[in-house]
Amino acid sequence: MINEFLNMGGYGFYIWMSFLLVTVFCFLLYYKTRKTLKKYEKELALELEKLPIEHRKRIARSSKVISSILASQNKLS
Amino acid sequence: MNIFSFGNIIIYIDRFIKFINSIFFVILIVGLSFALIISPIDYLQGDTVRIMYVHVPSAWIGLSIFSIIAISTILNYVFKIKNLFLLLKSLAPIGLLFTGLSIVTGSLWGKPTWGTWWAWDARLTSMLVLMLFYVLFILSLKYLKDKENLPKILSAISILGVINIPIIKYSVEWWSTLHQPASIKFLGTSSIHYSMLIPLFLMLLVLLLYCALIFLMKYKTEIIKIKKQNIKRL
Repeated sequence: MINEFLNMGGYGFYIWMSFLLVTVFCFLLYYKTRKTLKKYEKELALELEKLPIEHRKRIARSSKVISSILASQNKLS
Repeated sequence: MNIFSFGNIIIYIDRFIKFINSIFFVILIVGLSFALIISPIDYLQGDTVRIMYVHVPSAWIGLSIFSIIAISTILNYVFKIKNLFLLLKSLAPIGLLFTGLSIVTGSLWGKPTWGTWWAWDARLTSMLVLMLFYVLFILSLKYLKDKENLPKILSAISILGVINIPIIKYSVEWWSTLHQPASIKFLGTSSIHYSMLIPLFLMLLVLLLYCALIFLMKYKTEIIKIKKQNIKRL
């Protein structure tokens, strides 16, 4: 029964290859996108760390983007 | 309160990413079960019809994204809206991926059905042209240093590219092609049974959720890049 399912009426190669290629390329784009996002989040957090603590707190209060990045980085660390 | 400010947008992005992550795998498993197990075989094509469940949604997504990009590029050129520029920058790679996947899966469907991997017929060639426009658009975004003329160049590419969209859509009616005519009509009666329509729309939903996830992550990256550049001014 499993062999029949994998064979797909003799067209298994074409069907499985289609689904496999879609999965692999979608995963590669997801992986690359996530890696880039994490890299920029980390870089921004490092730049913020270089600032004096008072300045950093003021920025975090005034910018939701910065406070969200700092919060996510704090969670990670 | 400006809901379109980067601060508010990033909060919504995080919420949407969490939401998509929470439902994605359930819908993926249901969609794949329908596409690979539950849906019936075609009386002519047999099991090869299952390739339709990834091929057709990929083609729809590739076409829709280019149309969105074309509208956004023109609006960005006219009104200089920064958010639109980030939107098209985030969408273009997703559109390229799905246009490429529709061509490759179409080729894998073509071999057992038509007996050939590729034919220079109107539908296949016009899809290849769309992919080339995506490549040109992304290369311009990445490598053009002339930031002043970039919106003009992007508008020109997308206007030329969007002319190709109706050609793709009607190529199967205007010319004699190997590719079959449309079975699914949004304005009219579809010639496809609901037992095949359900898996098709489920797989479309899966791929749309994936597109939304990638788009949101890319959009967030672009916002962070801007904040990083402006950190000294904060």
